This record gives sequence, structure tokens and C-alpha cells, in this order.
Amino acid sequence: MPPEPPANGGYMTAAYIVAAVIYLGYSFLLWRRSRRAIGG
Amino acid sequence: MTPSFASARAAVRRGRIVTAAALAGMAVVYLLALRYTPVEAHQGLAQKIFYLHVPAAWTALLIFSLMGIVSVIFLWLHDERLDLFAEASAEVGLMFSAIMLTTGPIWAKPIWGTWWQWDPRLTLTLFLFFLYVGYLALRSSIHDPLERGRFSAVVAILGMLLVPFIHLSVYLFRTLHPKPVVLKPSAPSLPPEMLRTLLVAFGVCLALYLGLVMMRYGAGVAERLRDAGGEAGEVPDAA
Repeated sequence: MPPEPPANGGYMTAAYIVAAVIYLGYSFLLWRRSRRAIGG
Repeated sequence: MTPSFASARAAVRRGRIVTAAALAGMAVVYLLALRYTPVEAHQGLAQKIFYLHVPAAWTALLIFSLMGIVSVIFLWLHDERLDLFAEASAEVGLMFSAIMLTTGPIWAKPIWGTWWQWDPRLTLTLFLFFLYVGYLALRSSIHDPLERGRFSAVVAILGMLLVPFIHLSVYLFRTLHPKPVVLKPSAPSLPPEMLRTLLVAFGVCLALYLGLVMMRYGAGVAERLRDAGGEAGEVPDAA
């Protein structure tokens, strides 16, 4: 019988949330900056 | 050659569309990673951080290489658009290297038992992050556009030389970091579901880079034109 994988899903969740916050956060900041720059 | 305000607007608009599509693609990557790929027997769910960490690291390395190549051409042609493109790429590359540097330690803690090790691979990737920061800090400290372009191009070219060294560091030094499983002389050593998800994630990262860099480039051009217009007593027509 293969060994049971370690229970470390919390780390995976944390990494996925951190990455999503950085991707979405930077995209939003850049969208706002570009809107100000081109005026629309 | 100085780009026009109309081209800046067009770049921003195209960039917004590509970025929105790439962010939707990133949601698909999350679903693929969480639902489609198997749970690795020894590392458990923490292994799935790989689908975020590796494509972000590849993209960060690729962007610095691209900045170096563009900077060589800029020093040759003195085309302002190339300098603005390198500047836009640096900011987006900093974001990807931030993802690489945050997701890596989150994976390392359950697998290695420590968040960080001062081993050659990890230290070199930290250098890459500081190179991005240094490049952008240098740019913000020089007012003259031509001088700023020249100095930062030299930094980008020198930084580009670090990229192959980072990739090969796992072979050159004794390091805890896993060896490449895809970018290596032999065939990729990954199950097909993992390899497909990884390649899709890399494609999405490239699309996101493209979208963000177009937005940042357009904003950079518009801001520079506004500054130049302000100094000359006129602001470009935004219509």
C-alpha cells in the first residue's frame, strides 16, 4: 500500500492566495495608473 | 523615435484586454492545478505550489534576458521606445520575481522544514529580485532620459549575464533546490498531467506579462509625453 501523502494543504492554500493577491493587486494598480495616464 | 500619445492609448487598451484574458487563464490554471493534477505521494498538496512558483520563476528570468537584449539594441539604435519597453518589463518582472520569492519559501517550509536556506540557487534568485529593484531605483534617480536609458541599459545587460548562471546553479553548486525537471538536456521527467498544467501555467504567465507590459508601456509613454508637454507649456490632447 502506498504511503499516505503528508497533510500540508494549508501551505498550498497560502501560496495560492499570496500569488492571487500579487497578480490581481498589481494588475489593478497598473489599470488605475494607466487610466490616469491616458485619461480614460 | 518618440512614440505618440495615440500609440500609448492603443497600447493601454490592448494591454487591458490581454491582461483580462490572462487573469481568466490564471483562474483556469488554479482549477487545473487543484482538480486535474494528481497529489504527489511524498510532498502532498504542497507540491502543487510548483504550478505557480516555476512558471513565475521562468517568466522572471525570461523577462530579464529580454531586457538585456532590448538594452543592447537600445544602446545601438538609441530608440526611446526600447528604453520604455525595458522599463515596463522591469516592473512586471519584479512582480513575477516577488511571486517566485514568496511561493518558494511557502513550499520549502513543509518540504525542507525551513522557510529559507542561504544556498547558491536561492541566494542567486534573491540577487535577481534585487537586480530588478536596483534597476528601477537607478531609473528613478536619474532625471535626464538619455542618461537614464544608457545607465539602466548597462545594468540590464550585466543582469542578463546572471540568468544562465541562475539556471545552471543547481548543477554548479551543491544545493537543496530541486534540479530542473523540464528545462534539461533529457526529456521532461514529469507525469503528463503535471507537465501539461505546468506548460499551460507558463503560457498564461507569458500572456499576463504581455498584457501588463503593454499597459505599463502605454502608461509610461503617456506620462513622459505629459511631462514633456508640461515643461514646454502644453499638454498632449487626450482625445
